[in-house]
Amino acid sequence: MEFIRPDSIDAAVAALQAENAACLAGGATLVAMMNADLVAPERLVSLRDVAALRTAMRQPDGSVVIGAMRRHRETAEETDLRDGQRVLSDAAGQIANPPVRNMGTIGGSCAFADPAADYPPALAAADARIALVGAEGRRTLPADAFFVDWYETALEPGELIESVILPPAPAGTAGSYTKLARVAGDFAIASVALVLGMEGDACSHLAVAVGACGPAPVRRRDVETELLGGGLGDSEIRRLTDALADGLDPVDDVRASADYRRRVAPRLVRQAIAEAKQCLSGTQ
Amino acid sequence: MTGASITLKVNGADRPVAAVAPWTTLLTVLRDELGLTGAKRGCNQGVCGACTVTIDGEPVRSCLSLALNCTDCEIATVEGLAPAGSLAPVQQALAEGNALQCGFCTPGILIAAHALLRRNEPLSVDEVRAGLSGNLCRCSGYKKIVEAVVRASEARP
Ligand code: FES
Ligand code: FES
Repeated sequence: MEFIRPDSIDAAVAALQAENAACLAGGATLVAMMNADLVAPERLVSLRDVAALRTAMRQPDGSVVIGAMRRHRETAEETDLRDGQRVLSDAAGQIANPPVRNMGTIGGSCAFADPAADYPPALAAADARIALVGAEGRRTLPADAFFVDWYETALEPGELIESVILPPAPAGTAGSYTKLARVAGDFAIASVALVLGMEGDACSHLAVAVGACGPAPVRRRDVETELLGGGLGDSEIRRLTDALADGLDPVDDVRASADYRRRVAPRLVRQAIAEAKQCLSGTQ
Repeated sequence: MTGASITLKVNGADRPVAAVAPWTTLLTVLRDELGLTGAKRGCNQGVCGACTVTIDGEPVRSCLSLALNCTDCEIATVEGLAPAGSLAPVQQALAEGNALQCGFCTPGILIAAHALLRRNEPLSVDEVRAGLSGNLCRCSGYKKIVEAVVRASEARP
């Protein structure tokens, strides 16, 4: 096994162009898998010294570019994330526990793509894009297209995640992440990422992504769009949760049964919307 | 491969280590090469917190940190909390509060608690529980540990 610590994105991409090379970000997942003899890359490309991956920047248009090596703790405390973009910082603060949040990175978490992880639904609800760089150049993908299947992403061999890009959220929207877990810091049994805007009693912005209930986050943009402009009452929320339920594909695992997840997910959606409405009416 | 020769800065001292393989964790170097056996290998998976040390002042998992990635960092272990023969306030607080039984989890708890106490303000039970949520204790129960850390935070000037 070779160990390389490049100090630029170009050098990192060049080092990745080898058989069985892997990026080492925070180590929280890759090193655990190496310790368990589950993976043994022939070349480890540590991204630790690539300063360009460690920054987060708010752009003039209000979008925020978060470098792949930003750690969960930094994203949880990121003051550049505003309004509905807070869905991402809320999720970051609920990942694992303080020492792991000091290590784990947004790029590492996205690349591993655990469907029960906290970032995927938050990124889906925020309409985030994932920026990738490889030997052939750069491309960006919407979160929906990036998270492909159980632990599978659109990353090609020799490509790495450069950043995550959050578009501006409309002023006055609220972003929240609601997670049901067995104990604090565990992976989710089910989770709901929400970006909500209300103008008076009318819904002006709605994005709901359900996590941990299938290979990738589940959103129903068609129904979200239909509900815009109306009051978000019980029957409207019911239409949304019924539609979301059609898209869920949960499994039984050590945390909960698939059946339990199906039952609890709509309740989490209702709870998340009720809390966000409350919080919005408090600030108006 | 035979591995690299590196120097780690541990508890303020430069510690040379020879023949470090890429997959060698900081925890392995601390325990097996440097004889610093305070940090414990509980799960080796990042779950239990027994291996917690600080890197550049922040608590992290030494079992998930590769030694070759730590060559330009300040590493601190439980052995560095106080000079030999004396106890840091957080150690004193856990001892006085009978907040340990077998002691396996204690070094990790001490490091995490020490980092919390740096905030230099009285901490609530909930703040301490959140701060120590990454550290499992399999025998003494958490109540006395949390109480001891809360007391230590209140006793500070
Ligand atoms: S040994 Fe590192 S977290 Fe358990
Ligand atoms: S005192 Fe035994 S594990 Fe905590």
